[in-house]
Amino acid sequence: MRIAALFAALTLATRVAAQEPRLERLDSAARAPVAALLDSARAAGLPPEPLIQRALEGTTKGAPADRVVAAVRRLATDLGRARDALGQSADPLELEAGAAALRAGASPGALAQLRRARHQPLMVPLAVLADLVASGVPPDSAAAAVLVLAGSARDADLVEFRRAVERDIALGASPAGAATGGARAAAGVTDLNSTARTGSARPRRP
Amino acid sequence: MFDRIVAHLRAPVRIDPALDERVMAEVSTLPTPTSGRPAAAVWRWLAPLAGLAAAATVLAVMARPTTPSTHKLQFVLVAPQAATVSLVGDFNDWDAARTPMHPLRADGSVWSAVVPLGPGRYHYAFLVNGSRWLADPAAPTASDDGFGTPSSVVTVSGSGRGEGT
Amino acid sequence: MGIDRVATSDADLVRRVLAGDSGAYAGLVARYRDRLGRYAVHMLGNREEAEEALQDAFVRGYRSLGRCDSPERFGAWLYGILVNRCRTAGARATRRGRMFVHDDAALNGASLPTAIERTEFEDVVRWALARLRPEYREAFLLKFVEDLEYEEMARLTGAGVSALKMRVKRAREQLQLILREAEHV
Repeated sequence: MRIAALFAALTLATRVAAQEPRLERLDSAARAPVAALLDSARAAGLPPEPLIQRALEGTTKGAPADRVVAAVRRLATDLGRARDALGQSADPLELEAGAAALRAGASPGALAQLRRARHQPLMVPLAVLADLVASGVPPDSAAAAVLVLAGSARDADLVEFRRAVERDIALGASPAGAATGGARAAAGVTDLNSTARTGSARPRRP
Repeated sequence: MFDRIVAHLRAPVRIDPALDERVMAEVSTLPTPTSGRPAAAVWRWLAPLAGLAAAATVLAVMARPTTPSTHKLQFVLVAPQAATVSLVGDFNDWDAARTPMHPLRADGSVWSAVVPLGPGRYHYAFLVNGSRWLADPAAPTASDDGFGTPSSVVTVSGSGRGEGT
Repeated sequence: MGIDRVATSDADLVRRVLAGDSGAYAGLVARYRDRLGRYAVHMLGNREEAEEALQDAFVRGYRSLGRCDSPERFGAWLYGILVNRCRTAGARATRRGRMFVHDDAALNGASLPTAIERTEFEDVVRWALARLRPEYREAFLLKFVEDLEYEEMARLTGAGVSALKMRVKRAREQLQLILREAEHV
């Protein structure tokens, strides 16, 4: 029985390796487990490319096989969670960015809210969310900030917002404050770009 | 007097022809200019991290896409002690041989590589002298995968439409 | 007399660069180096800074070559880039407290910048130019040294024709005033 299972695993690995020649670069101890993870991912409709890249990164950096496999498994799990939060229609780039956001500490709820708030591709807002949390912004603050902007900001504005927050943090601002303040400022600019008139902003005659 | 001044100012000035070489050296590291309007260029400079012999910097120059969804990004690393530098990441299958970086200056202190990238989020790092991994201190850090050395992340946005891999 | 040998035109060189032949740009650099350099040297009053601004302008010219609408007028287009670079360099030099100020009080007794040609007259000219406001100096050089028409100057500088005429006039008046003072020293 055991030999049969082993044989099956090896056959699978050979099959996947044939489909994916880059796996040849992996440590032999990592090859079969990673191949199996790739196969599961494909079967689940998840994109395999991020998994392959993660395996290649670990291999190139000389990490032990078990670390490589663990990293790939973790990413595969996060991709699945991202798909649960973002919905079946999420494209591979959104899933990858969503997985990064979850990994960084954002909640699935935040991802789902983003999906509802923005009727454009989510790759950049999710990437910005992941990067903000990686910079030290608390996940809730980061999610709230990105949510404020997600409805109306363009991708370029979101990237600029992330840069501004990182700059402020580098200059000594608290990460949460930098994110919240930055989002308010950026949202204000976005509002000015729309045609809404804010009568209260005008100085009144005495 | 005035005429004399003008005559003097109009006299030919001879600029050292060595300037030509300096210009062409810079130009040789740039992508071929393309007709049309480039998107806004985005620059980030970093101060060297204390304790590091090299400072890493990414200059994201969003040139006009060469294909509808590809942007050329220039990666720059300040590494005066380096003999070789490679750019390694998701965009070249983490193959250290694929994207060697070139010295931008004659003294070899600044290294550069230009990579065409489609929309997406990419992990990357610099490999100095074939053995030392450097992340980009100013770029967002990738989550730690336990590989021993950190990587950085760069995000390339699309044209507004969802382009899948 | 024979047929004039016509060198490769600016437009041809530009086209070759855009087609991928970056080496062709060297031809344009060699062609315009001295001509543009003259403006930069007089505008910035300092050979080193002029070369820096010039190099900067050439590299920027290469980068945005695709935006040159009339390749046959590459020189004029590059001029605009250089004028801009000189403005930035000038502002930077002022912040750094270098020689090039137009504040009279500060200039009286200020030493002249080290120069390539050291005749007394040339020093006087440089000193006089330095005392002009940057926008007057710029307009003066473009009109009297580079021989540009006001419409061309307007395109390069972004200022209106009447504003430019006023600046050139003021520059002339001030230069004459400065030089008259110098004669009495």
